[in-house]
Amino acid sequence: MEQFLQDVVNGIADGSIYGAVALALVLIFRATGVVNFAQGEMAMFSTFIAWGLTEAGISVWPAVAITIALAFVGGMLIERVLVRPVEGGEPLALVIVTLGLLILLNSLAGWIWGFNNRAFPNLFGDGSITVGGVRIDWESIGIIALMLGVVAVVWLIFQRTKIGLAMRAVSNNPESSRLSGIAVGRTLMFGWGLAAAVGALAGALVASRLFLDVNFMGSVLIYSFAAATLGGFDSPFGAVVGGWIIGVAETLAGDYIGFIGADLKILVPLGIILAVLMVRPSGLFGSPEVARA
Amino acid sequence: MTLLEVSELSAGYGQGLVLHGVSFKVEEGQIVSILGPNGAGKTTTLRAICGMVEAHGRIAFDGEDLRGRRPDQVSRRGVGHVPEGRGTFTELTVEENLLVGAYTRRDKEVRSDVDQVYEWFPRLGERRTQHAGSLSGGEQQMLAVGRAMMQRPRLMLLDEPSLGLAPLVTRELFGILERIARERGMTVLIVEQNANLVLKFADYAYVLESGRISLDGPAGEVMADEGVKRSYLGY
Repeated sequence: MEQFLQDVVNGIADGSIYGAVALALVLIFRATGVVNFAQGEMAMFSTFIAWGLTEAGISVWPAVAITIALAFVGGMLIERVLVRPVEGGEPLALVIVTLGLLILLNSLAGWIWGFNNRAFPNLFGDGSITVGGVRIDWESIGIIALMLGVVAVVWLIFQRTKIGLAMRAVSNNPESSRLSGIAVGRTLMFGWGLAAAVGALAGALVASRLFLDVNFMGSVLIYSFAAATLGGFDSPFGAVVGGWIIGVAETLAGDYIGFIGADLKILVPLGIILAVLMVRPSGLFGSPEVARA
Repeated sequence: MTLLEVSELSAGYGQGLVLHGVSFKVEEGQIVSILGPNGAGKTTTLRAICGMVEAHGRIAFDGEDLRGRRPDQVSRRGVGHVPEGRGTFTELTVEENLLVGAYTRRDKEVRSDVDQVYEWFPRLGERRTQHAGSLSGGEQQMLAVGRAMMQRPRLMLLDEPSLGLAPLVTRELFGILERIARERGMTVLIVEQNANLVLKFADYAYVLESGRISLDGPAGEVMADEGVKRSYLGY
């Protein structure tokens, strides 16, 4: 039983990270209607910058904070320079741009920082507390708390600020938004910046839990796709809940289903993606298009 | 004072021109109507003013040429647009739709303007927290008018507000529109097929046929014109 509860807590911590990346995917999907395949590599690149800052002697939390700010600016630049020229055209063109960006960032990071594993400083220390026989490490608690904080901030931006209202308006009806005076391009820029910032935080959390190399976000991105698919690609709330379900399912399957073990865990998100697409394509919290004609 | 002066406007989509040198004027405080059958270029005229299609000629709004401006820039200069198809933000609530209309404003009177819209259209007030996609066609048209009003526009463009509405709903909508326009001294450019309705409401009218203005005059005179009677009023 203790093992089971511990798995659940660990799963929720892992799932929080998947949820964060899924949230970043959802932010861009809602704004542009396209999945940003480069989301993982954008986070990887940011995390290398954070690592570089710590190597330069800045302590880890300020380094992460600076990186999040840089990622926000970088995300806006990516939108302005690479995405804007193909926006409003063929969705496929934008998909190809994000794939190109994936390869570009991956190669660039390898060229700058090399292909070896790097140890990323631990963000939360090694301590743990024991609740009812279940050992919970500070890292898990910290990740879950940070994740909830991120969700709260994103929710507040969407529901309580003018730029958030503009983002929702643009994703719902770009033409009508323009007629109301909203500069659609600038709004999308903000969306990409926000997604990049959330991704950068997720990257630092993963690196702190594991290690850092140019491909370390690859499998995380797959889990995050599963989380976003499960939660519904247009639902920020769904992304987070989807992340938790994927994280717990993955951890439990690894421990309790004999043949899966640690090596075949990647089958779990793939299986879930497949099942969701067959049974409920809009996901748990996604909205199928409903409108009265 | 002339608020909008359009001269020799040509516009279209790709190779095909829809408008062939259209000229008209809207005086400040006036309600001007452009009448015409389907395909005459009514919607294209409004879209050209708002920068949604490429146009040639001159579109002078308060002395400034609007050509080459993006739709959001035209909107910021004080042009409200109730577009064809109503432009509803279906996934936002009714109230959020109105707040999007006020997006460019920085003043403190947004709240009281929202309440003003609810006073004009009580049914929107009753449904303020509902998703706008669940509204009926008539309610969505009222919402589109309310949203454009939230901009406090100097010029309001209306694209066939009667399209797809029951006659009773249309009459109600035009009644409120007229009240708003007269109370506020607002300048309105409205394109319509429903001549009966709009000629009673407008001060001045133009008839647009195949991309050219074929007739213009005070609404009363246009209503008395034999050709207009035959083609649009059903006598």
